Amino acid sequence: MFRANRILNILLILMLMSVPILAPANAVEERLLSPSLLLRTLQRGDLAIIVHKSNPVQNLSMAELREYFLAERSHWSTQQKIRVAMREPGSPEREAVLRLICGMKRDQDFTTYFLRAKFSEQVVDEPRSLDSTPNMIRFVANVSGAIGYVRADEVDPSVRVIRVDNLLPGDPDYKLVLP
Amino acid sequence: MLSINRKTFRIVLSCLVFFAPSYLLPETTVHGQAKTELAQPAKPGDSSTQTGSTAAIPVPSTTTGPTDDSDKETIRQMLRRIEDLEGRIRELEARQAQTAAPTGTGTATAQQNAATEGIDSPAASPTNTNGGQGAIPPVAITHDDHQDLPNGPPRLQIQGFADVNFRATNEKGRNNSFFLGQLDLFLTSRLSEKFSVLSELILEAGEDNAFTFEIHRLLLKYSRNEYFNLSAGRYHTSIGYYNTAFHHGSFFQTTANRPFLFAFESRGGILPLHNVGLSLTGRIPSAPLGLRYVAEIGNGRAARPGARPVQTVVDENNGKSFNLGIFARPRQVPGLQTGFSVYHDRLTRPGVPTVDQTIMAGHLIYVNDRTELLNEAIVFRHAQAGRIFYIPGFYTQFSRRFDNLRPFFRYQYVNVPGDDPIYRAVGRRNGPSVGVRYDLSDFVNFKAQYDHTGRRRLSALDELILQLSFTF
Repeated sequence: MFRANRILNILLILMLMSVPILAPANAVEERLLSPSLLLRTLQRGDLAIIVHKSNPVQNLSMAELREYFLAERSHWSTQQKIRVAMREPGSPEREAVLRLICGMKRDQDFTTYFLRAKFSEQVVDEPRSLDSTPNMIRFVANVSGAIGYVRADEVDPSVRVIRVDNLLPGDPDYKLVLP
Repeated sequence: MLSINRKTFRIVLSCLVFFAPSYLLPETTVHGQAKTELAQPAKPGDSSTQTGSTAAIPVPSTTTGPTDDSDKETIRQMLRRIEDLEGRIRELEARQAQTAAPTGTGTATAQQNAATEGIDSPAASPTNTNGGQGAIPPVAITHDDHQDLPNGPPRLQIQGFADVNFRATNEKGRNNSFFLGQLDLFLTSRLSEKFSVLSELILEAGEDNAFTFEIHRLLLKYSRNEYFNLSAGRYHTSIGYYNTAFHHGSFFQTTANRPFLFAFESRGGILPLHNVGLSLTGRIPSAPLGLRYVAEIGNGRAARPGARPVQTVVDENNGKSFNLGIFARPRQVPGLQTGFSVYHDRLTRPGVPTVDQTIMAGHLIYVNDRTELLNEAIVFRHAQAGRIFYIPGFYTQFSRRFDNLRPFFRYQYVNVPGDDPIYRAVGRRNGPSVGVRYDLSDFVNFKAQYDHTGRRRLSALDELILQLSFTF
């Protein structure tokens, strides 16, 4: 009986000690909360790729992002139709996405690309153009297959940030940085 | 009875004191909202936590002490209740969507649309459930949240393409002329999440200066997913690359005209570029290199002398043409595409043996925002009464953009044997084309092109084409 009590006591202690490790505060969360990291994100102007909260995708490579933003992929792995949301022409966020993801230097190229993609039966709908961050977040939060982007410091909880090349905004080698 | 001795109790107590901040702080941090959401991606494969409504609800944890257990139990009960209500709402929405009339108006239609277009209803969205707790303001779902939501009947979208040209040539019997190209009305409409319609209507003046109107593409498309896209109607055959990349509008073309190999049937082209039937396209699941397939079956091309080449209504035989193709767009090299296709048809002409036509086409393309490199080769095989005839043809085109200016060079070649049963009048044609395209604005461009075409047993053709092409 004494031995059993002792073992149970030890188990109880171990359980109590292990809870903080399993608690919601995982590594990424801690990193995002770090003031220095937040400051770096703000200073550098990192762009966060956001999706609908129900989207199970965790990470996309830059090459995959390109396929998604240029409508070379039409559906997510969940068979949900992809809805690309873009900021309005002239916005720095859009310029960054065109340059870094789509490999286009001119906004005109993106417009022509989709005009032609539509003409070639590749797409039916052009990307949705949204003129502000709240509208972008609102669209992505409401359309289940949506993918869009906002400045990392403007993300709100109604959408989910995905990793790009296994990195999150604020990481040292994160590539999606505003010009 | 099991008991905890005093020493153990002290250790447990010190553990609680030491780790208490770890429990309490994350939920009470200033960054509360953003932290909760940004942290989610850090749980690979944990999709259930994102899809489930319960996960989206931030649990307030500012309370401590002996009421914790009862609070947690209350929250658990609330979450269960919310889940029940959400399930009930989904059930009601599904029922409502089923009973709503197709042309119904008001909320029933809006909800149906939301269901088909992937917009979460306010009640079911995590956003709203969060909003219910005051963490996020509720988001009103409006029609504008998705552009392709037909609010009532489908909406028709029209895009126009046209060009105005001047041609100077040394061809006998043809004078230097201004001329209108094709007026191309491109229509699209989304009917539902999976169905859409596409049409390309062409108004064009012929050699007699009379206008003709023709439906060059009319397709009802069913897109189940990216692996299965079925179209029915009149389509541009997926032989090679050029035909399905440029279609009719010359606005997108770098050059002022199409390579002779891909000239339309009405302008003396030898490929069956239009067909009426079914077309199936999509990605090949789990295949490397971004492999895609295409499978088409249709009436094929008419072979009777004087007949319209595209058999839109009546096929001259019971045999159907088919085209099978495979092409790759490797993700690793954006802009690269390579592929191969095989087309087969039986051409029936009165009074002569049937011709088995097989067309093999291969292409290697590289296009990015500055550089364009198009290479295509095609071989026709005509088998008639034990004899085989081959028609080889290819073109290569290179261009590079310098700001708004894009100089280009093209060389093309096609050689039809003099005894070919179908296209012997075409003969051999080969030669270079050089020119420039200048983008006057986003939607207007100017092209100047010089063609030199050598012909078998005929004098060479020299031609200058000036073109203004635009979209509207």
